[in-house]
Amino acid sequence: MRQDFPLPDVTWEPAREFWAGASRSEVLIPRCTACGAYAWYPVARCRRCGEARFAWTRMSGRGRLFSWVVVHRAFLPAFAAKVPFVAALVALDEEPAVRLATNLVDCVPEALDFDMPVRAVFRPLRFPGVEREVMAPMFVPAEG
Amino acid sequence: MRAVADSDWGCPTPLEDIAGEIAIVGVGESAHTRASGRSPKEIAAEAVERALADAGLPPSAIDGLMYAPFMGGQFDAAAFHAYFGTSHDLWVSERGGGMVWAGTAPYDAALAIRAGQARYVLNVFSVAWATQRAEMVGGPGQVHAEDLVKQNIEVPFGWFPQPVYFATIARRHMHEFGTTAAQLGAIAVACRRHATLTPAAVMHDRPLTLADYLASPPLVDPFRKEDCCLISDGGGAYVMTSVARARDLRQPLIEVAGVGLGNSYTGTYWSQQGAFTSTPQVFAAPGAFAMAGLTPADVDVLTLYDPFTIVALMQIEDMGFCRKGEGGAFVEGTALHFDGGVLPYNTHGGMLSHAYVLGIAHVVETVRQVRGEAAAQVSDAEVGVYGGYTGPQASTLILRRR
Ligand SMILES: [Zn+2]
Repeated sequence: MRQDFPLPDVTWEPAREFWAGASRSEVLIPRCTACGAYAWYPVARCRRCGEARFAWTRMSGRGRLFSWVVVHRAFLPAFAAKVPFVAALVALDEEPAVRLATNLVDCVPEALDFDMPVRAVFRPLRFPGVEREVMAPMFVPAEG
Repeated sequence: MRAVADSDWGCPTPLEDIAGEIAIVGVGESAHTRASGRSPKEIAAEAVERALADAGLPPSAIDGLMYAPFMGGQFDAAAFHAYFGTSHDLWVSERGGGMVWAGTAPYDAALAIRAGQARYVLNVFSVAWATQRAEMVGGPGQVHAEDLVKQNIEVPFGWFPQPVYFATIARRHMHEFGTTAAQLGAIAVACRRHATLTPAAVMHDRPLTLADYLASPPLVDPFRKEDCCLISDGGGAYVMTSVARARDLRQPLIEVAGVGLGNSYTGTYWSQQGAFTSTPQVFAAPGAFAMAGLTPADVDVLTLYDPFTIVALMQIEDMGFCRKGEGGAFVEGTALHFDGGVLPYNTHGGMLSHAYVLGIAHVVETVRQVRGEAAAQVSDAEVGVYGGYTGPQASTLILRRR
């Protein structure tokens, strides 16, 4: 395993643009250049039409809280200082079939609700013993 | 409430009709323990020896071996010969083992037996995950941590490992269908009660009431630790042959009546699965029941690959034991108990309370139930079903006493 695991490897080609976008406070998702379908997670060929070229497309950063959990146990030692935290799936407004694995922040877990509107904020991922940090899209509750 | 919208998220694998061609004629398990210090091969050998004794067959009679090479240290042909001091030719299939393959191995064995490639086929599986517990050095989370997609877009947010995936699914199921914690708890309680009646179960001495379950603190809310399977060392094995040969052996005739296999296009990327609160049993079970000429109403005992309570609940729905979304109400109270429940379920305790041997012990238990020799025996069980699951696939295996 990489020395800086569980930080993402921002040079890993399939998601490089995602992390580059996050460093500029943008949510970018690959979109098929032939049929326009969003392709998340990154794939070699469009599931709808087979096209191999994708354009990384800026999303509004708005979505709906699809589901979430409150993680009380650190399954990896790197998360020991973070528990309890909210890990979630957010369905993006432009294409709800695209769900981002993310964190809900600046929120009270008891106040979360299914399909509530959320918006992206950009926060650093930091782990103990790892010097590097990576900006990442996390989400906060938004006004409807 | 919302209907499951996306029907284009998976498909069945077409299978030939093998109904009534082969039988399971011997079953065996190793001891199921917490960290044992034993290797998977040592554990497997114990299970294989017991399965052969149960079948009344010598090692030299076994001419087919099915195992799962992608799991480390499995009991392969070299291990078989080394342990038994044999050297004869073995037909070998890498489509055996536990999980989905504990359910589909009889299909591949039937085709091999039909083609004359083997006569007596052994399927074997074992794990030493309690011994390897440190989770990044083997164990159930490792394969997910090593997946580069997960490593780079899921794990950094702590959306990892399996208890997190399936608690997320459970919460959505609660939203869509009104499923409650007490309903998930009913599954855990039924498994534990069965384990307390099964001397070989890891949790045989640890009773659990619904009140205990509800009082247990959150692990990955909405999951408590009782929603999650054990980590244990153990293994199992079973022997298959043609129905004609099985009639000459010592055990009651337990035929393979039907097999089904279903697939999810999104594999282990559960976050992207179209029907988020379903399993590929939707695509596996109908084929198995059609092959067997049976319906879910004919099933006397059900065993399900149960890494988490919600995975059992979804499979019960997806296999047609109740309608989608009604699983919560269906499993309430004692509905899953061996003595008088409407659907006796994981009568050995399952992976939640018996042992975490990934389904191989479920098939062993299903055979024992339809033979009539289980510890928590369902009265006059004739049809037993195993549901296997990996995420990318699910399998249904229907066994019937003849
Ligand atoms: Zn396309």
